[in-house]
Amino acid sequence: MKTVVRDRRWAEKYPDLGTGPVPTEPYCSDEHHALERERIFRRCWINVGRVDDIPEPGDYVVRDLAICKVSLLLIRGSDGVVRAFHNVCSHRGNTLVLDEQGSCPGSLYCHFHNWIYSDTGALIRVPDEENFFGLDKREHGLTPVNAGIWEGFIFVNLAPEPPETLRAYLGGVADQLDGCPFHEMTLMQTYKVDERANWKVALDAQNELYHLPFQHRLIVGDAFVKNDKGLIRFQDVNLYNHHSVWSCENNPARTLPPLEHLLFAGADGAPVSGDDAAPVLRIPQMIGEFDFYVVFPNFVLLLFEVGNATSYISYNFWPLAVDRTIWEIRMHFREPGSARERLQQEYFKCVIRDALQEDAFAHENIHAGLASGAKPHVILQDEEAPIRHFHKVLEDHVGFYRGA
Amino acid sequence: MTEAPLPEAFEDLAPWLDWALEPERARTAKKTASSMEEIRALYDAMMPRLEDIMAYLDSVPAGDERPASAHRLHLLALSLVEVANLVEIYKRREIIEACDPLDFNPQR
Repeated sequence: MKTVVRDRRWAEKYPDLGTGPVPTEPYCSDEHHALERERIFRRCWINVGRVDDIPEPGDYVVRDLAICKVSLLLIRGSDGVVRAFHNVCSHRGNTLVLDEQGSCPGSLYCHFHNWIYSDTGALIRVPDEENFFGLDKREHGLTPVNAGIWEGFIFVNLAPEPPETLRAYLGGVADQLDGCPFHEMTLMQTYKVDERANWKVALDAQNELYHLPFQHRLIVGDAFVKNDKGLIRFQDVNLYNHHSVWSCENNPARTLPPLEHLLFAGADGAPVSGDDAAPVLRIPQMIGEFDFYVVFPNFVLLLFEVGNATSYISYNFWPLAVDRTIWEIRMHFREPGSARERLQQEYFKCVIRDALQEDAFAHENIHAGLASGAKPHVILQDEEAPIRHFHKVLEDHVGFYRGA
Repeated sequence: MTEAPLPEAFEDLAPWLDWALEPERARTAKKTASSMEEIRALYDAMMPRLEDIMAYLDSVPAGDERPASAHRLHLLALSLVEVANLVEIYKRREIIEACDPLDFNPQR
């Protein structure tokens, strides 16, 4: 076992984080929410999907950055390049693409006056063009949005000139996960949960394991290594400038429920090794056995083991309003090599999904409590250090308290 | 001749064919609309057959080539997984202190 279960390790490792309370106003304040729009969501690199979402030339998806009132068109051109544009026609500003996803035969047209754009964003046809005044189609392509791709993840930056490249922004997260074969793990399911809670309430509630033996006591309360008082301890916490990762080890003494036992363990209790069609997929970039990356501001990458393969889940927390969030959950597994592996994946999907349904219930109750204004601060213990880091980065960007 | 709904060796599972549903949301909806007795009956019928089901599914073509009867068997296995936590962990027909399962709104 790599986990050292000693108390208060993270304050020792990261003394600059401090140990004081964290203010609750940023969860509920309209003023803070407006500053987040300008200083976070219009300036930071925001994950909006994966290249696998649009695998073929002409494939597109539309993603709404509702907090910025921006509809984004992500499209793979016939040249194979993935680009991001404002989903807005150059003529009179109509929303260009109305469906959430699709594929076009090389061009897109506006439903208002049939202006036609190539799949690389150029304006290629204007009906009754001669009746305009000096219209140069070359100057009226779709408005591009800065896009970057790291290991297949598409990020956008709404700033006209992003202060740093995506790679520099990701920093230590990319250093740790460069080369990770995310492309070998395909999207099995996406959930979109509409929550009456601030996006940070939802994110913070996922960004620690202190709650597991309590809120999730029945379903995953026993999943990870604990100390002798039955409390989970991280194997490690690493902070990378804006971002963070915590890691933990699976509890080797956990009693498997009957179906999990049947799917993962043979009659003698030894792990089922899988057949020849299901070779081991282990990712050397793993720190623990369950690594939870928070990529500031609203993206989470969660890597874990299912049977003999690494899998991952991503979360995007999409603020719709100060008190409303879409929690987008995507679960990725490698292509199953057998019926057993397919059911192992289904099992993990359902266990995690059911646990997250407990979380979704809690997010709304937590938000209601915070929004009441009863408590000016929340109090964090040492195993909640990743939340403390997140709020430090948040204030570094927003400057709510320094009056920037 | 009409094709049998389930592979011959699994015809005894025919009473549970109304659980052979896709996509995921349909299985979740069936779960939330069922009594604990109905859920447990599916679980009790499927668990002893699961090893044989997995072996059978591996013996026939997979993916789009999989016969319809085998695909139904696969969907029954997915429904077993769908309900297992209620039987094994929560021991009641709802997750305690959780949102409505249908609020998770699976997209596929």
